Amino acid sequence: MDGKRQHHSSFQQLEKLGEGTYATVSHAALISVFKGRNRQTGEFVALKEIHLDSEEGTPSTAIREISLMKELKHENIVALHDVIHTENKLMLVFEYMDGDLKKYMDNNGERGMLKPHIVKSFMWQLLQGIHFCHENRVLHRDLKPQNLLINNKLQLKLGDFGLARAFGIPVNTFSNEVVTLWYRAPDVLLGSRTYNTSIDIWSAGCIMAEMFSGRPLFPGTTNEDQTIRIFRIMGTPTERTWPGLSQFPEYKANWQMYATQPLRNILPQIDEKGIDLLQRMLQLRPELRISAAEALNHEWFAEFHQPAHPQQHHPQQPMMHPHRGYQQHTVPSQNVYGNYQG
Amino acid sequence: MTMAHMKNPLATPDQIFHRSSLDSPPTELRDAIFFSTQCLTQAAGILLQLPQSVTAQANVLLARFWLIEPIMSHEFSDVSAATLYTVAKIGPCPCTPRDLSNVYAYLLSSSSTFLSPPGNNPPKNIPDDYYQSETSYQAFHSRILSLEHLILCSLSFDTTVSLPHPLAITYLQSMDFLYVPKEKITRRVVEYLNTALLSPQLLCLTTQPNGLAVAAIYNAAKDLGAKMPECEWWEVFDVDREDLGFLVVGMRSLEGWVGGMMGEEGVLGKKKRGGMITRKEVRDILGGDRPPQEEEEDPEVVMARRMDEKMREIEGDAA
Repeated sequence: MDGKRQHHSSFQQLEKLGEGTYATVSHAALISVFKGRNRQTGEFVALKEIHLDSEEGTPSTAIREISLMKELKHENIVALHDVIHTENKLMLVFEYMDGDLKKYMDNNGERGMLKPHIVKSFMWQLLQGIHFCHENRVLHRDLKPQNLLINNKLQLKLGDFGLARAFGIPVNTFSNEVVTLWYRAPDVLLGSRTYNTSIDIWSAGCIMAEMFSGRPLFPGTTNEDQTIRIFRIMGTPTERTWPGLSQFPEYKANWQMYATQPLRNILPQIDEKGIDLLQRMLQLRPELRISAAEALNHEWFAEFHQPAHPQQHHPQQPMMHPHRGYQQHTVPSQNVYGNYQG
Repeated sequence: MTMAHMKNPLATPDQIFHRSSLDSPPTELRDAIFFSTQCLTQAAGILLQLPQSVTAQANVLLARFWLIEPIMSHEFSDVSAATLYTVAKIGPCPCTPRDLSNVYAYLLSSSSTFLSPPGNNPPKNIPDDYYQSETSYQAFHSRILSLEHLILCSLSFDTTVSLPHPLAITYLQSMDFLYVPKEKITRRVVEYLNTALLSPQLLCLTTQPNGLAVAAIYNAAKDLGAKMPECEWWEVFDVDREDLGFLVVGMRSLEGWVGGMMGEEGVLGKKKRGGMITRKEVRDILGGDRPPQEEEEDPEVVMARRMDEKMREIEGDAA
């Protein structure tokens, strides 16, 4: 079979877009991202090249990312077009995006600050993407400006699902090594292993504040510093304001007690409705945090609420299983994603 | 789409049918291989201290893989190890290739009690039997990684498995069984679900988790004499009577089938020694209608084995 060479040559590799690592259990695997062009259609793609680890094989993050991204087809989630495997590499072919939110803020913001209507549009799109993930029982777990990709049509899409995972019922205990520090929810910082969709909402709230102010809201340096920075603004919780608080592994009885700061003093750029939404996203207690679906219905987004909005369209799915799903969803009879080149 | 997390990709009738034509041994033998390999995965999961949710997912992935790849194309124990390794890796408790190798070396050795015929004295523990030299470890490691790659590619990276266990617990919580403590019935339900994973009828590839959960509850309630609701309660969980009947029988039949297979006249019972069935044994059972398989053995493996033997001699001399 000549599939490999044929496959490779169907994409022209252009400049390198970035480099990074995939954390594996014992060490890091190198990944590089290239801009590429589909020779047949002329369309640009992003090629994410993952070197297979000689000790561990295919990085778990790559397996998770591919298995989840295959299912998540949405306009606010970067599309995975194809996976090409060779002996020691995996190449993920994604739709091409011009940059990420971090770069966009650096290049287009005024000292990083974005215009309110841009922030609102990005937040709307971000929450749409998150809502779709959560509806499909996927936690992203690593939302940050670098993982939100922007194209020149100002579409925002969630990328990098390397830390994402599917969740079922009842929610299992997860590892707490998730989410870049600055966007990490307080319950995760306190050592919770039973977190849920609300951790992505916390991250989204931090990102919203950052787009308005041009600066990260809680730029902590260590787990502890991160926790204290959050308390300094949101107030130090107590067993009375957060029942069960003292049961968290990282609970400290001697936390400095801070009073809650009104968010509007810290973020004067944000209008009243925006502050209200942000306040609901940045609730310390995860069960009080607003859901993505509720956030999309918040009146801050009133201008997006057309009658035909999908939110109104989607009745709650009944807790029933559609009869006989196998016609649509079966074990693949041949390789849907690329070919195995033994 | 919303309920995707509760559904699994299922086998097509075509795939089930083709299973027997993919250069496969006769059905009876193939089922024995399937059952033994699934048991091996379970045993390894226990020794590696993996949660049952991980091991059970590995069972399902292995069954999916053998729908696509002929059962005889790789050593059965290697496929078991590779699926377990892959599932553990993407879950919360990954295991190292070294631990995996040690556990499989032990389970495949004659010191292990794995599938040893009941009634026999437990085999003598001889640590040398499962000592892993560096070369045999390296050979195992590279076989597992290349199999992992093959498994991921053949399954199109569809590694998500929805297990019936959490659903069954949720269903049980919504039901009330008179006179039987919940712990007792739950235990029996979980036993049925775990047994279903081993079933060569591929119950986990032909039924969605809700069907399995309901059938396990039905069987458990019957076994313990628990009074079930008088209405057609399974319909609440979207299972119809006909499917339920089929699953109930399928789950219950496994015990008898295993007994027969392990019995004196059974495929596994006839094996000279207990333990995991190998491709070589299968070929021997199939008899002389195939050429001896020496030439198919990887020269590197042969070399590695010779070196191991040599090493053992040398070490033996030194001791």
